[in-house]
Amino acid sequence: MRKSALLSLFGVFFVLSVFGQNKIEFKEFTLDNGLHVILHQDNTTPIVATSVLYHVGSKNENPERTGFAHFFEHLMFEGSENIPRGKFFEIVESAGGTLNAGTSQDYTVYYEILPSNQLELSLYLESERMLQAKVDQVGVDTQREVIKQEMKEVMEERPYGSFQKEIPIRLYPNHPYKSPIIGSAEHLEASQLEEFMEFYATYYKPNNATLSIAGDIDYAETERLVRAYFGEIPKGTIEPYRPNIQIQKLTESIEDVVYDNIQLPAIFQGYLMPEKDHPDTYALNLLSTYLLSGKSSLMYKELVDKSQKAVQAIALPNDLEDGGMFLVLAIANMGVDVDDLNVAIDEVLNQVKTEGIDANDLQKLINIKENQIINSFGSVANISQSLAQGHVFYGSADYVNTQLDLFRKVTAEDVKRVAQKYLDKDSRVVLKYLPKPTDATE
Amino acid sequence: MQLNKFKNSNVINMKKLFIYFILSVFSTAAIAQIDRSKMPEPGPAPEIRFGDAESFTLKNGLKVFVIENNKLPRVTYSLILDRDPILEGDKAGMLGFVGEMMTAGTKNRSKDKFNEEIDFLGAGISATATSLSASTLTKHQEKVLELMADVLYNPLFPEDELAKLKTQSKSALALAKNDPSTISSILSGKLIYGSDHPYGEVETEATIENITVEDIKQYYSTYFKPNIAYLAIVGDVSLAEAKKLVEKHFFTWKKGDVPSFTYALPTTPSENVVALVDRSSSQQSVINITYPIQNHLPSEDYLASRIVGQVLGGGGSGRLFMNLREDKGYTYGAYASVGSDRLIASFSAGASVRGSATDSAVYEIIYEIKNMRENGITQEELAAAKSNLSGSFGRSLENPGTVANFAINTERYGLPKDFYNTYLKRLNALTVEDVNAAAKKFLKPENMYITVVGNGAQVKESLLAFGEVKSFTNMGEPERLVAMDADVTPSVVLDKYISAIGGKDKLKAIKTATVESSAEIQGMKLGLDFYYDEGNQAFSNKVSMGGNVMSNTTLKDGKGLVQANGASMPLTDEQFEALKMTMFIFPEIHFESMGYTLEVDGIKDVDGEDAYKLIVSNPMGAATVNYYSVATGLKIKSESEGSGEVTYEDYKEIDGVLYPMKMITKSPMIPVPLEAIVNNIVFNSSIEETIFN
Repeated sequence: MRKSALLSLFGVFFVLSVFGQNKIEFKEFTLDNGLHVILHQDNTTPIVATSVLYHVGSKNENPERTGFAHFFEHLMFEGSENIPRGKFFEIVESAGGTLNAGTSQDYTVYYEILPSNQLELSLYLESERMLQAKVDQVGVDTQREVIKQEMKEVMEERPYGSFQKEIPIRLYPNHPYKSPIIGSAEHLEASQLEEFMEFYATYYKPNNATLSIAGDIDYAETERLVRAYFGEIPKGTIEPYRPNIQIQKLTESIEDVVYDNIQLPAIFQGYLMPEKDHPDTYALNLLSTYLLSGKSSLMYKELVDKSQKAVQAIALPNDLEDGGMFLVLAIANMGVDVDDLNVAIDEVLNQVKTEGIDANDLQKLINIKENQIINSFGSVANISQSLAQGHVFYGSADYVNTQLDLFRKVTAEDVKRVAQKYLDKDSRVVLKYLPKPTDATE
Repeated sequence: MQLNKFKNSNVINMKKLFIYFILSVFSTAAIAQIDRSKMPEPGPAPEIRFGDAESFTLKNGLKVFVIENNKLPRVTYSLILDRDPILEGDKAGMLGFVGEMMTAGTKNRSKDKFNEEIDFLGAGISATATSLSASTLTKHQEKVLELMADVLYNPLFPEDELAKLKTQSKSALALAKNDPSTISSILSGKLIYGSDHPYGEVETEATIENITVEDIKQYYSTYFKPNIAYLAIVGDVSLAEAKKLVEKHFFTWKKGDVPSFTYALPTTPSENVVALVDRSSSQQSVINITYPIQNHLPSEDYLASRIVGQVLGGGGSGRLFMNLREDKGYTYGAYASVGSDRLIASFSAGASVRGSATDSAVYEIIYEIKNMRENGITQEELAAAKSNLSGSFGRSLENPGTVANFAINTERYGLPKDFYNTYLKRLNALTVEDVNAAAKKFLKPENMYITVVGNGAQVKESLLAFGEVKSFTNMGEPERLVAMDADVTPSVVLDKYISAIGGKDKLKAIKTATVESSAEIQGMKLGLDFYYDEGNQAFSNKVSMGGNVMSNTTLKDGKGLVQANGASMPLTDEQFEALKMTMFIFPEIHFESMGYTLEVDGIKDVDGEDAYKLIVSNPMGAATVNYYSVATGLKIKSESEGSGEVTYEDYKEIDGVLYPMKMITKSPMIPVPLEAIVNNIVFNSSIEETIFN
């Protein structure tokens, strides 16, 4: 029970999908209005996944109006000129499909998976909300209430959930990454309908979007339909805000206590990472796999299995466009002092920094990556999103096919070096999560 | 900067990728204006096709299914044991340990070595009491199969691993007992199947303690036998290659006799039974309306039963969801399911609703069940449910393992050979009449267990509308009913308590008190100090950690103030009224003068001790429930919505007055029970006035 709560806590961050060795063939083109389209044909199962990635995340928000990108993740289901309010889900479900959406600091993605004879329906739905989503007072008022409940659930009720606010606010003193993706209730409360309309007009435009379709499709027919549904959508004319801010590294470490509704105390350590497409990001990704993946990973073995100081531990390289955050967290076992746990984590990190990893370890990490990458190709929904992310963040949809090579370029020495360079004790954030003391008179 | 960088790299890669591009010279001319006012019609339904499994049987009885799928260079090996469900009795919980124990090291490899070898390949091996499976890239399959076989033939079952599992399991159990959803499922299981049925029995700390390594070894050597096993091999492997590997690793596996079991068939109750678990601290009620049904894949109306479940309460467009959430707003979600199982299945419909809507929600759920039984479903509902079910059937085929499950189910449950090949055809052939007939068969609105986990004081009376309300404990056991003399009034109970702790005169002589206690919560020490000055109607409670005061609640001059984290918050009148009772050292001697309403609600079993249940309501309507031991007269427990449950233990005499030295608080506000021990207590102490500032 506890385990699943903790894993789902990372739902808000996108865990990087991995792509790799087996070649994923695809075709792509760009419409006159700037919409970039990627198609991947795979006829093995008669389903199709259609996803639209908008290059807008929480970092594009006005710091006085945080939570807009995520707000649209809700608002975009409210309907459109031609789709009645609240019917989006029902339409997809009764066509035999399923759907979802997600928001990160850098982007927002919407997708449907439908039987392949309903491809046109997915294009209709996505083009409707790109062309004329219902951004009105009723929708804004409804979703504001829903999101307030979601904030409660995600930030307050979900154990340790507040780390999504508490780590970034300390780690990014001068960059919009400091705000939680879900934003602030006060900001949403204060926002006027016009502001939502302007946000929509700025970011939800074909020239800020990537449409990616994977599954049982015919290339020519799909292209014809895409042009018919999306071609008429006018290009956006408002220049999107893209922060151009060099992230300031902390000059000294920040250690704080956070009280939360939890059973067991925990340590959350946060470190700055380089930009998403920096070579060191791959080394850090492998480092996190070395620390915490299977039962033989270093930190699992030391803290969870042997000393049993932690009941669970996770290392998460959350790579971001302007510079990500590397998180190491561990939940203390019954009766274990959090400070001891923090020392124990540091000892494990020190071991990597001083001794590094050997060739055998590196081979293991590459093997794990390769396995993950190949397995990620088992779902057309994954493939469609990976293609879109490759195009937007790595300059090419073909990233899906080249990523494993980038991991293979990492040396054992690199892993040691990035541990020393980025997991720097003097510029990190350490949060001690403690159970909220209660007022005994209550 | 960032943006430019991406643009540049875009251009470079675009050139390289030119080969993939479709240059659509013709398409631009062919675009017709689309009519956005209409939703597009779907194309012709795609043919859902999937291959059959190849299969063969070894001499030892192992049935092997091979699904060759070369889309990706990966393969999975899943071994499944087909045995009757087992009643674990006083070792309940043992089966849950088998898998972890099997993969905790073998005679050839320590646990560390085993984990290292499997992780090195990027592969995975996992086990349960009835399965062992491995997944890997094809290129590592020889090695992974060798490891899998090692687990199958040579597990070590180390003692220390069992000790670790027991500890984890006990802490999980402690949490579960306080979790309304878990309580609800324990209660439902016991009602539907009974405690002496594998589906109804529940593990306890005692049964977990009983489990030995010997039990697990015994289980392993009895049940891990090829003659009751299926092996599914799915992925990038040919039949010939699979045969070779299977012969190599599973040929020598020795068959053996495996016991079989039968169980009495649970039946539906002859009339509706209302079952309540009273959690006075609950603000929400967990409702589950349930009963056993016989329904399984081979049943003639299995597919119709799935439509019944889908229309009544499947997902965000089911009737229950639309009624209870979208229309009434009682809940975040309401669902129903018509289960299927070879032995015995169950129907279930329920929701977590706000406490005040409990009876209305039960009413609406029963209404929907009755309405569907009597009036059936519409053509539109049928069509939507069919699309929904066939859509998820289609999506499930993306996972090649699905076809292996089809093959195993067909064999295991004696299904017609074309069961899955005709699945969609049969689904789409269902008529409204077929589904309505299934609704009549599976919906039994007169023979249900209506279970509620919630605040009894708030919901019990209103539930009488649905039948006699029977009370159950949080472990799903019937609450012991103890007869109470008719002449027991609130003052009888209070007088007995007051004289038990020292008598009214002694209590009234105590005007001030200082109580210093401490608690430990996950390794942190908390100080909990209470100061009472009844003469000045003043009270203070300070909570400190490491010597620093974390929060300070003060009641004085008819006002209340909470200071915490550097902020002060005055209490509302309602909050003050609720806390007022705590400003007295012995609130019981003030009940009368404060105008509280008192009611004795029978004798209850409090952790094995009979106790009078006294409901104390303040003038603003908020209630606290106190329990006084029938035997000793002492107060042993209190419950309220705001404070949760507090149990009082270890009464000691101080200046001729008995006072509890241990108080355990369980509340939704705190994650684990908070055990406070009194270190120092002084009656008629002199308290500095600054304490109350």
